[in-house]
Amino acid sequence: MAPATQFEVAQPPNDAISALVFAPDAPNRLLVSSWDKNVYLYEVVDGAEEANLVKTYEHRAPVLDVCFGANQGEAFTAGLDRLVKRIDLVTGEQTILSKHNEAVRCVVYSPKQSILISASWDSTLHIHSTDPSSSQQHLTIQLPGKPHALAASPSKVVVAMTARLVHIYDLPTIATALASSSAATISPWQQRESSLKFLTRAVSCMPNDAGYATSSIEGRVAVEWFEDTAESQARKYAFKCHRQALPDDEGGGDIVYPVNALAFHPVHGTFASGGGDGTVALWDAEAKRRMRQYQKFPDSVAAVGFSSNGKYLAIGVCPGFETGMENYSGEGRTKLFIRELSETEAKGKGSK
Amino acid sequence: MGKKKRGHPDVEELLARPWCYYCERDFEDLKLLISHQKAKHFKCDRCGKRLNTAGGLSVHMNQVHKESLNSVENALPNRQGLDIEIFGMEGVPEDIVQQHNQRIITNFYTAQAERHAATGNPPPGQSGGQGPAKKIKIESSNEIKKRLAEHRAKVAAQKAAAANGTAIPSPVDGQSPGQGASPFPPPQTGFPYPPPGAAGAPPFPPAQAYAPPFPSGPSPPPGAPGAFNLPARPPTNTAPASNLPQRPPYFYNGSGAPPSGYPGNASTVDELVASAARQGDDIDQMIRMAEAGIKPAGKNGAAEEAGGEKKTKKDKEKNMRMVYADTEISPEEKMALLSRYSYIPQE
Repeated sequence: MAPATQFEVAQPPNDAISALVFAPDAPNRLLVSSWDKNVYLYEVVDGAEEANLVKTYEHRAPVLDVCFGANQGEAFTAGLDRLVKRIDLVTGEQTILSKHNEAVRCVVYSPKQSILISASWDSTLHIHSTDPSSSQQHLTIQLPGKPHALAASPSKVVVAMTARLVHIYDLPTIATALASSSAATISPWQQRESSLKFLTRAVSCMPNDAGYATSSIEGRVAVEWFEDTAESQARKYAFKCHRQALPDDEGGGDIVYPVNALAFHPVHGTFASGGGDGTVALWDAEAKRRMRQYQKFPDSVAAVGFSSNGKYLAIGVCPGFETGMENYSGEGRTKLFIRELSETEAKGKGSK
Repeated sequence: MGKKKRGHPDVEELLARPWCYYCERDFEDLKLLISHQKAKHFKCDRCGKRLNTAGGLSVHMNQVHKESLNSVENALPNRQGLDIEIFGMEGVPEDIVQQHNQRIITNFYTAQAERHAATGNPPPGQSGGQGPAKKIKIESSNEIKKRLAEHRAKVAAQKAAAANGTAIPSPVDGQSPGQGASPFPPPQTGFPYPPPGAAGAPPFPPAQAYAPPFPSGPSPPPGAPGAFNLPARPPTNTAPASNLPQRPPYFYNGSGAPPSGYPGNASTVDELVASAARQGDDIDQMIRMAEAGIKPAGKNGAAEEAGGEKKTKKDKEKNMRMVYADTEISPEEKMALLSRYSYIPQE
C-alpha cells in the first residue's frame, strides 16, 4: 500500500484561490483559479512529490471559477469581468462565450451533454452548447435568487442560491431545450429549500448520480438524494463540522467556520470537506461517519478537489474572508497542497 | 440523634460522596463525577471528543490526531499520570483513597469545631455548662464563605510572613475561633489536646519531625498514634515557625506544598483543588449548581437541570460565534467589492 504523502506546491497562486479542479481524462492535470486574475495549470509528477506549473492564463479580473471542458486541453472560466470564457490550454487562446450583467460566480461542464452552464450574480444561468457544429449562442434561465454554488452530476445540475433556494435541473431536458433554442421550456426539475439554515457555500454531486451534498457558512454539511420519494427524502441528513470549541474562560461555545469546499471522491463515493478552520475532513456519506480529519492547514481551506482516479487530493489554502474584514488579501499566504492518498484512505466502510 | 435539621452533612455523608482522583473535587453522585471527568480530564483538546478514560483519550489522540498524550489535563500536579486507569471512582489507588478520606475527616472536624466555637454550642452529646448558651447565630452560606475566605487570607498572610523569616507569633485570639477556643478535641486524635498556642509544648525531635514525606504506602492519619511516639501536634496554625519545626507536607507527597501548620496545609490542598477547578467550566458550573440544588434561574433551566449533560440546541446556538455571519451575501461578493479586486468594465 502506497503511503499517504502530502506536499506543498512550489509555485502557488499569488492571491486567494477561488477554485481548483483536476482534468477528467488526465489525473495529474490540475487547474487553479485565483483572485490574482490568473488561472494556473499544474502537472503533478507521480511519485516525485512535486507539481510543476505548466502555464498561467491571465484574465482582466479575478477568476471565480474554472472547469475543464471535454478534455484536458480545454477549460472554461468565470470571473468578475462578467465573462464566460473558453480557454485553449495548449495555445492559451481565450474565447468569450457569453457576457453576464454581473460577475460570473460558477461554471460547470457536462461532458455527456456537451453543455456548459454558467451562473452569475445577475441571477441568471447561461446555457452554452460547446458542440462546435452548433451555431446556437446561449440560453438564459432566470433564477429567483443570486446563485452561490453550482454542481453537476451525470444527469442533474444543482444550483444553490440566496434565501436557501436550491433548484435542480435535468440535463437531458436542458439539452433538448438547447437544441430547440427555447429557454421557456426549461423549468427546474425540482425546487427545494436548503436543509441548511444558513447561506449555502458549496455544492457537490455524488459521482453515482444519486444525490448531492451542500455546505453552509455555519459549519454544517447536508447530504440529500435526488430521488423524490418519501423514502429517499427521509434518508437526507445534515451534520455539524468545522467548528472549534472555545476555551471555557472565553465563555465556551463554538467558533463556527464556513465550510468552503466539498468534493466527492470519484471512485469511492466518499467526500471531502474543507472549512474556514483550516481542516479537511473525509466523510463516508453512506455510513454517516467521518473517516479522517487531516492536520490543520495554516489558513482557511478555500477549495478541495480529487483527481479523476481518486489518487490525489488537492487543497487550496488561503486566508478566509471573515465578517468585518476590510483589507483582505490572500497575498503571500496562499498555498496549494497535494495529498497523495493511500489506496484505502478514502474508501468508506459502507453502511452497516 | 435523629435530628438533622442543621445544614451540615455528617462525616459519613461526606465520605460517601464520589470524588475525582485527578482534582479532588467531590460530587453529589457518580454520574456527575463521570461527566466531570469526561469534560475536564478526558476531553480531546483537538476535536472536543469526550472519552471515558485517560487511556482511551491517549489511544484517540494517537489514532485520530497522530499525537501522543503525556498528561491528564486539569489534574493536580502529582496526579497527571496516564498509568493509572480511572473511571469514576474505579481504579483509585488505596493509599490515595486513604489520604482523601483523611482530608475529608480533618476538614469536617475543623469545620465542626469552628461552628461550635462560633455558635457557642457544645457538640452533640456534651452538655455545655460554661455560662449561658449563646444565642444561636445562623449564618447564611455566604457568611460562612466570607469567614472561610477571611480565614484563608489570614493563613496565607501568616505563611507569607513565615516565608519572609519574620515569624509572627500571632495572638491566639486572632485565630479562627475553632482553633483556639474550642475545648473539645477533634475525636480522631487520641491525645489530650494541648493548650492553645502551646508554644512551650515539647519541641519535636528534629530527626523525626523532618522525616521525609510519607512514601506512597497507606499513610497514617495525622496525629494518629503512628510510628512516632510524638505528642499530638496542636492542630492550630498558631504554631510559631521559630519554635516548632515544620512538618513536611502531608497530603501531597513530593508536591512541594509549602510547609505550614496543619490547617494551613489543608487549605493549601483546598487551594490546589480550587485552582485546578478554577477554569470555570460551564459543565462544572452546572454540576456545582446541581449539587447545590440551585435551579438555574430563568429560561434554560429545565434543560440544564439534567446535570449538565445536555444544553438545549438554542443555548448552543446562542453560544456559537460564526466566523462569517452574513446570511445573504457571500464572502466572494464582499471580496469583489474590495478595491484590490474590483473590476471596472471598460465601456
